[in-house]
Amino acid sequence: MRIVVAEDLYLLRDGIIRLLEAYGHQVVATATTGPETLDALLTWRPDVAVVDVRMPPTQSDEGLRAALAARREVPGLPVLILSQHVEQLYARELLADGSGGVGYFLKDSVFDADQFIDALERVAGGGTAMDPAVITKLLSSGSSDRRLGGLTEREHAVLGLMAEGLSNQAIGQRLFLSESAISKYTTSMFGKLGITDDDTNNRRVLAVLAYLNNP
Amino acid sequence: MRQLVSWVVSACVGFGRACVVAAVAMLVPAVWAAAVAVWIWWWDGDPWSGTVPFLWACIGTLALSRPVCRMFRSLVAKWTGTVIPGGYRQPGAVTQMSTGYWWNGYSYERTSRDARMDQQWRTRWRDPATWRDLRFTAIAPVTVGLICAIPPAGLAAAILGLSQPAFFARLIGVLGLAVAIGGASYAWRSAEPVAVRFLGPSPAMTMAERVDELTAQRADTTVAQAAEIRRIERDLHDGAQARLVALGMSLATAEKLMETDPDQAKALLRQARAGATTSLTELRELVRGISPPVLNERGLVDAVRALALDSPLEATVSADVRLRLDPPIESALYFGVAELLTNAAKHARATRARISVVRDDTGIAVEVEDDGRGGVSVRADGGLAGLRRRLSVFDGTVEITSPAGGPTRVRMVVPCESL
Repeated sequence: MRIVVAEDLYLLRDGIIRLLEAYGHQVVATATTGPETLDALLTWRPDVAVVDVRMPPTQSDEGLRAALAARREVPGLPVLILSQHVEQLYARELLADGSGGVGYFLKDSVFDADQFIDALERVAGGGTAMDPAVITKLLSSGSSDRRLGGLTEREHAVLGLMAEGLSNQAIGQRLFLSESAISKYTTSMFGKLGITDDDTNNRRVLAVLAYLNNP
Repeated sequence: MRQLVSWVVSACVGFGRACVVAAVAMLVPAVWAAAVAVWIWWWDGDPWSGTVPFLWACIGTLALSRPVCRMFRSLVAKWTGTVIPGGYRQPGAVTQMSTGYWWNGYSYERTSRDARMDQQWRTRWRDPATWRDLRFTAIAPVTVGLICAIPPAGLAAAILGLSQPAFFARLIGVLGLAVAIGGASYAWRSAEPVAVRFLGPSPAMTMAERVDELTAQRADTTVAQAAEIRRIERDLHDGAQARLVALGMSLATAEKLMETDPDQAKALLRQARAGATTSLTELRELVRGISPPVLNERGLVDAVRALALDSPLEATVSADVRLRLDPPIESALYFGVAELLTNAAKHARATRARISVVRDDTGIAVEVEDDGRGGVSVRADGGLAGLRRRLSVFDGTVEITSPAGGPTRVRMVVPCESL
């Protein structure tokens, strides 16, 4: 894959590039500031971009803004956001346009290289990938309690993994259940939540998150 | 008819008030008049015979000035609702020293009673309010005193004049009656502006009070800051630092075992990675407690939105503007909202909360309302008192309305200029 890496800290940028190259991907451009990131994303149109939230010149949410701006120009441009902390607020903003191809992870996630590359590939394929920490926050906040109250504990767990972006097969492996059992859970869950079932990961996550967004 | 009755009532009340004000204002002149009378009484050709009455009058003035001013303040407060702060200097604490003597801030005394007495005199002598009171007792008779004396004087003229058969005396009596009736409702009102102008604390006194207040606040802030830094140091020392040491040891051991026992080395490396993740999580929590990243990145409104999203309550945020304030104020308000939301969920057992952030010309107001059980009280060592203290550094205030049974509404107001 052709990848753009936007990260202002040299050590981290270097580490990410090395990791990506070790897995046979090609880093076509790097950026260290917000404007540079927007420029690189629009010029190179990469298969996927890895973008840090906080970057110069203001050290605020430069990277996130650049990514959102680029996605407004090129809808569905796959972007994986990395950050030292996760906020539901940012996750919701990323998912708001509903076109998929977004990921949002803590920087720690690069510790588990396999999982990181897996998530990156999911995002490049137009799916979504969310850090478990984001999902935990999304599912445990007050507004979701009321709406998800009708779900059983098992359905809740399935919903959480589904929101991370996992397929039925992967969820089955995590929960030590068969794929058909999972699909039974998802069907009953979608019924309770009033969402029409669909086969792609992307639509499933978006449906769940859109549901969390709109009371 | 009703109008007439209410007018008569207000005239009678006004007449009474004018008499009271005139009497209070004329207390000190009465003392002087008495002194002059005594002087004339004792007159034997020697002007020095007036010394003793003169001293009496001086002592009487000094003794009466404060009570007279107090009466004026309480009358004005009672009739018009205008509260005029006295601004008197409060005597400090009197403490017993190890020698058994008492120290009152100025001198040592043998008994605590003496010490208090001495302190009271000295405080009063140095208090600028004492001189202001004296000035007022001189001003009051020639301003409000004269004005308020008009209705009773008019009445007296009426009684005297109308009891005489002469036409001229009767004319004066009628005029006096008209003045008394016409002025009755209005004369006493002159007490308010005069008292406000001359009885309030002077700029210097206000300034001195403000200096005291700021000194106390600075001490508070310094203590709180030191405590905060100690907490951070402890957290780093026991958490991240210790973990990094363990991490380094694991890595060193793994390096050694790499050749001889690769499986064991791999296990150690896995352990090291887990340790790194944990210390990152700890550091993240610590950073969130010091300076929440979302606050730096987005400012107060979005940071409060993020808080509302993370809260176990169903919280809604209404904010009219994307405002940026001074970072310390944003931080204090952010932690205030965080604390209030936590309280609402933990103690008040609320399920919903409503947060509003409103900015106007004078400052910013943040209001948090929950549907909990209410009955919140502010304890001296509690979170709400801490919140009040943190905001007072910016001259901010915290208003709490929390009837038993709820709802609880807390309003934080900080005067500020937006950037």
